[in-house]
Amino acid sequence: MKAKSTLGIVFFPAFDWAIHPLHPEREERLLYTLDQLNEEGVFDIEGIMQYKPDIASHDDIMRTHFCFPDVAKVTTESHLISAGGTIKAATLVMDKIVNKSFALVRPPGHHAMKVVHGARGFCNINIEAVMVEYIREHYNVKKIAIVDTDCHHGDGTQDIYWHDRDVMYISMHQDGRTLYPGTGAIHELGGPNALGTTINIPLPPNTSDEGFLMAMERVVVPILKDFKPDLIINSAGQDNHYSDPITNMNFSALGYAKLTEMLNADIAVLEGGYSIQGALPYVNLGITLAMAGLDYLYVHEPDYSQKDLTQDKEITKYIKRVCDQVMKRYEECKKPSFKLMPGNYDVRKKEIYYDTDNIREMQLESIMVCEECRGVLKIETTSTVNPLSLGIEIPLDACDRCQKEGYRLLDNALSGDRYKYVQLIDRRNKKYVLY
Amino acid sequence: MYLGLDVGGTHTDAVIIHRSGIVAHTKVATTHHNLLECINQAFKNVLTGIDPSLIKRVNLSTTLTTNAIIENKCEEVGVLVSGGPGINPLHYSIGSQYYTIGGQIDHRGTEITLLNLKQLEKAIKKCRKKGIKVFAVISKFSTRNPVHEQYIQQKLDDADFISVGHTLSGNLNFPRRIATAYYNAAVWRLYNKFSHAIEESLRELGAIAPVNILKADGGTIPLHVSRTVPVESILSGPAASVIGTMALCNITEDAVMLDIGGTSCDIALFADGAPLIEKDGIRLNTHNTLVRSLKTKSIGIGGDSAIKVEGGTVTAGPQRLGMSMAEGGHNPTIIDALNVIGTINFKDTERSREGMYALEKKSGISSQDIAQQAITYALDIIYNEVMAMIDEVNARPVYTIHEFLKGKVLKPKTIYLIGGPAKTLAHHITQRFGWNVKVPQYAEVANAIGAAVARTTVDIELFADTQRGRLLVPNLNVNIRIPQHYDVDNAIEDATNYMMQYLESIGVDEKEREIEILQVYSFNMVEGFETTGKNIRVHCQVKPGILHQCRDILKI
Repeated sequence: MKAKSTLGIVFFPAFDWAIHPLHPEREERLLYTLDQLNEEGVFDIEGIMQYKPDIASHDDIMRTHFCFPDVAKVTTESHLISAGGTIKAATLVMDKIVNKSFALVRPPGHHAMKVVHGARGFCNINIEAVMVEYIREHYNVKKIAIVDTDCHHGDGTQDIYWHDRDVMYISMHQDGRTLYPGTGAIHELGGPNALGTTINIPLPPNTSDEGFLMAMERVVVPILKDFKPDLIINSAGQDNHYSDPITNMNFSALGYAKLTEMLNADIAVLEGGYSIQGALPYVNLGITLAMAGLDYLYVHEPDYSQKDLTQDKEITKYIKRVCDQVMKRYEECKKPSFKLMPGNYDVRKKEIYYDTDNIREMQLESIMVCEECRGVLKIETTSTVNPLSLGIEIPLDACDRCQKEGYRLLDNALSGDRYKYVQLIDRRNKKYVLY
Repeated sequence: MYLGLDVGGTHTDAVIIHRSGIVAHTKVATTHHNLLECINQAFKNVLTGIDPSLIKRVNLSTTLTTNAIIENKCEEVGVLVSGGPGINPLHYSIGSQYYTIGGQIDHRGTEITLLNLKQLEKAIKKCRKKGIKVFAVISKFSTRNPVHEQYIQQKLDDADFISVGHTLSGNLNFPRRIATAYYNAAVWRLYNKFSHAIEESLRELGAIAPVNILKADGGTIPLHVSRTVPVESILSGPAASVIGTMALCNITEDAVMLDIGGTSCDIALFADGAPLIEKDGIRLNTHNTLVRSLKTKSIGIGGDSAIKVEGGTVTAGPQRLGMSMAEGGHNPTIIDALNVIGTINFKDTERSREGMYALEKKSGISSQDIAQQAITYALDIIYNEVMAMIDEVNARPVYTIHEFLKGKVLKPKTIYLIGGPAKTLAHHITQRFGWNVKVPQYAEVANAIGAAVARTTVDIELFADTQRGRLLVPNLNVNIRIPQHYDVDNAIEDATNYMMQYLESIGVDEKEREIEILQVYSFNMVEGFETTGKNIRVHCQVKPGILHQCRDILKI
């Protein structure tokens, strides 16, 4: 057998790391996946290669996140290796060593937001975002699409790219009214400088293969065609599976493989998925084969029954309506309707709860409305573990005004004693400093 | 006294080692059409003037099975495969009689679907009709639960030989298991005839010592054990060289071994003096197998590699078109090139010059330049292959944070050079690599020495699942019940004991039973929020290396 498109797999199961011995995110999580891939002889297929992860540096993290009090306090080695795994997956594709890559790493990252005080939704740092920012710093890539197929809304990734018009973030997930973290409604479309580059497709509980593939066909594929990204990334969460213990969906391994084929992502990154025996081995096998352009039709779970997983007609109707609405909103965002005055700040107040670490955070997020660039970002944050701190980000393509404004904010912050910690992300000069 | 014999691509070498050192060695041309001929000749030569009854042990490494597989001189095998869902097992079709049977066992060893008996009976009937007498039986995840393989085996009561997947290796890899079981059955008859003939020959010569066969992992197995696992004897040549190098040189650092023969150059790597092992198994004829081996790579460059000049470019190998011109061949080779540039003064140097001059007339490039370029070309290939191999090892995946952070990076700066042309090439190799190059005494028969002194090796994989209450050691056919409280310490103890018992049963000397634990994993299995059991894996081996007694003899 020979892969039609070469695939690099960065497999890092972290067999010696767990949140807690009984926690779903534990040592055993990728064990059966590894057994299945080994037994199927996947790593012997011509064109599928296995690679060791890199380890992400603190700069790699600080390029993406404001970590308080610092990177060392909110990460462990396993987080740095997991993020390093995504970086490896990225460099394999960007350096044209392989056509595609799949980072099968843990722990996951898509609930980690711009500001990090600890772990939420089993995530400390956002491994996709760390990868995307690594790519943008080291390669000439402008437009990137992240398609999040995890069952939970990727609120962390959405938060990080809320103001970024060059990153299209599309999440399909179980409706937030029925599942953690509760966000990801259709009207969440991005900040004032990046409206329409955040897309949410909330799906009802019990959505089957039919519904997922419908959302792909009616929303994801057309929007990607319209946005024309240079690179497509799949946040490949596997908890939509019918056997997942913490969600309520009816997706199958075969469905995941078909979705993967339709999406045709350059890089996939494993996110959640906690049916570690009944789903992960088969879903990961299906995704791997689909990415490599190989026959996956023979892949199914031991207890798979198409009849039991047939989607209710009412659900199908409902999903159709969701798709139509999402597309309507997406088109509306393109119209030159209500716009804020450039040079002013748009301010959001956010309350964030870190469920894994039981931390509460209050944020005041201000973005400079700008027509020339993504706008300078300022976040004031205080939490149950850290006193008031500040993060300032001068974006990658910052205009002179936003650049100057960023340093003005920094000077102000450093001259007073209002903030305990101040972090600057200056993407224009590649400076990431914690004061 | 120990006798070692290694059949190579060009030469068959034999040595006898004794307390006083190497007492006899011989080199005869390999007779590819009839290996027994050159083996017997080598036995005769090396035993001249030696009382054969003093030989304590005969170890041999042969290309018989390898050649049979490469040249497709195998017996037809009935391959019966129970696959279940996943990658379609038809992709792994091998041989002309390949049948897939319905049935499924999952990664935990749970039987999900029973064997499809109708399909099975139909397949067996077809094989019988074709007169098939040897079979390979393989099921997916049989190393977690061999029930399907065992059932099919029972159904084949009139077969001459059945090669059963899980008994060949405890490792996971269904396609490799299929290929391994297939080859094992395909060479079984040929191998058994051969091993019988070898025993006869030795008896006729008066040697009564036990005979062992060298394996690709650098260890040996008793001849009688090898009769059911003939596939273990494939590609053992490079392993003989590695063990020989270890025996002749006291290697303690990261190093590279180059065994340059007439036809090919074998490369092997050492980490802190230990030879590297291939994680999964050897590759043969485009099929990967589960046959454990040392990590070696064979490239088509040797002393007799033919030199070609095409469009102003000088190349050498990978073909060997007979001997060098200096030895009476008809095509200029690397040896001739060395003669022409004056590095060596080997046999008929005039003929070497004539050969090179013929190339000069055809291409317009001077003889000296052709010779120089051919040597440079050969050295570049060797250099690039060595570097690629080191890079590959250093990029090898790791699965734990501990391994990642403690990850050793291989940085060899020493080359151990053996084989026929070793001495003459040492200077060139030193220049090309800029490393420390060492050529041991007896470099030209290091491979046969390696065969002579290699110890018996075994590796096993123990798998325990306390929720299911089962313990398996697939390749020792152990499948027993265990209690709920079974833990990782019990598993290590059991693995060691099973290994000990096995080594004793095949007649391995007590002193040689040095067991090494390679890997231990223990995972808690959780359902809901309850720990339901432990999933324990222990991998252990008798390390490839040199027999205790021989260490004294060779003073290492």
